[in-house]
Amino acid sequence: MSIDTSTDSESGLFADEELLESGSRRRLLRGTVGTAVFLLIWQVAAMPVPTYLLPTPLEVAQAFIVELTAPATFTVPLLGAEFTLTRMLVSLTDSLYHYIPGLFVGGAAGIATGIALGWSELLDDAITPVQRVLRPIPPLAWIAFAIVWLGVNHQGAAFIVGIGAFWINFYNAYAGVKGVPQSTKEVAASLGVDNDLTMIRKVIVPRASPEIMTGIRTSIGQSWMIVVAAELFGAPGVGFQIINAAQNLALDVSVAYMFVISIVFLISDGIFQRVESRVLVWRE
Amino acid sequence: MAGMSQQPTDGKIVVDGIDKQFRSGSGTVEALRDVNFAVEEGEFVCIIGSSGAGKTTLFRIIAGLEEATDGTVWLDGEPIEGPGTDRGMVFQEYGLFPWRTVLKNVTFGLEQRGLDKQARLERAREMIELVGLDGFEDSYPKELSGGMKQRVGIARALAVDPEILLMDEPFGSVDAQTKQRLHEELLDIWSATNKTVLFVTHDVDEAVTLADRVVVLTGSPGSVHEVVEIDLDRPRSRTDDAFAGYEQRLRDAIE
Repeated sequence: MSIDTSTDSESGLFADEELLESGSRRRLLRGTVGTAVFLLIWQVAAMPVPTYLLPTPLEVAQAFIVELTAPATFTVPLLGAEFTLTRMLVSLTDSLYHYIPGLFVGGAAGIATGIALGWSELLDDAITPVQRVLRPIPPLAWIAFAIVWLGVNHQGAAFIVGIGAFWINFYNAYAGVKGVPQSTKEVAASLGVDNDLTMIRKVIVPRASPEIMTGIRTSIGQSWMIVVAAELFGAPGVGFQIINAAQNLALDVSVAYMFVISIVFLISDGIFQRVESRVLVWRE
Repeated sequence: MAGMSQQPTDGKIVVDGIDKQFRSGSGTVEALRDVNFAVEEGEFVCIIGSSGAGKTTLFRIIAGLEEATDGTVWLDGEPIEGPGTDRGMVFQEYGLFPWRTVLKNVTFGLEQRGLDKQARLERAREMIELVGLDGFEDSYPKELSGGMKQRVGIARALAVDPEILLMDEPFGSVDAQTKQRLHEELLDIWSATNKTVLFVTHDVDEAVTLADRVVVLTGSPGSVHEVVEIDLDRPRSRTDDAFAGYEQRLRDAIE
């Protein structure tokens, strides 16, 4: 009897939390059912056709495990040191070797250029015509320069990724800086900010940080798309595995590597989302 | 230039022959013509005016955010040539830095001075207490009501110890009840700090509640119609006949 009462009062106290929990539990349940139905339809559709046309989910899972566990050696570019990893991890590491430098260098350059052009009317006026003409060009169209300047290798692929990351970050940073209200700058001036560098550092960049963060987050995702496209030309990595396996009619392996992209994207986006919400706690 | 740099009359702030024209597409629009008045040290002066009389333009010129076409605004005998920390500004839309907490908003001006952290925090906490926001140091502006935001605005403006406090319809976006409380608090702060206050408003009631003198801007282009001395003891009561008399007089003046 006494136990009953205590449970009652507890459920009253935590009613909201329980409601919330039941909501997320319901979502989880529905999501599980939806996924199961999707896999089932896929399995049924793929069973009557050969693997090289459409692999079944089970074949893909098998291929995934094989690729994840089959040993392979990874040679560190430039250094030549060798490590024993697995085939999938070697491909992933290869991709990261152009994804990360491309994203960081291209992204940083894009943010810096965006801030500079957003801030300086002189630079904006001078560079906007060129910027307008270059911006619509897809990153992959620069492959010619990547090949003749750097070759079909990590540097070449990083170059392509960098161009993609540059534009995304450029545009977001530029719009963010342009969007800083005049009144905010006037308040800062009235509080003693009397030079451009202090204004940019203490007012413009923090005020534009939501847009800058959006740029970074978008480029984290988009750069994976570019990585795959750049590797179709032969640079080693996950994208290369997708096209290479497909050419050998091993579509199960191909799809397994497609999921690698998806998993890596989900992880990196999830991590960045946390960083973003921590940095931007002040946002309305 | 040397011969010109002389304040024409005594006063903390002297607005001397201010003209302002804005260039627009097809010509110029005249906003202010020959505006003259002076504010004494420690005085509380309100500027009221009909809409289009150029109150905000005049505020921006005194703030140094806008250049006068002709004439000079003097502060302590020096011509104003841009924004500066000698004038603490409070804006209608608060102008808080949303990415900074209450405390960090108030320390902003002190950081520009190169004050060390200990001194900054001490001064900021003192100002936050002055406006009655202790306990909210770590809140972000988004978490505050309009009245609280404007208290932060006032604390931030006062933190750098300006010569004058320049306020542009600071309580224009808060409800009537909050406004009344903020009036009382502002008068308390004013008497506690002995600051000179120049306060722009379109609200006649607000002007009579607060000001020692009211500068009435009328016309288009705007110029000083008259300067009304509010000879009432504080705290002032709205129900007072004399209060109502001043209100009527100002209302007639701006219509």
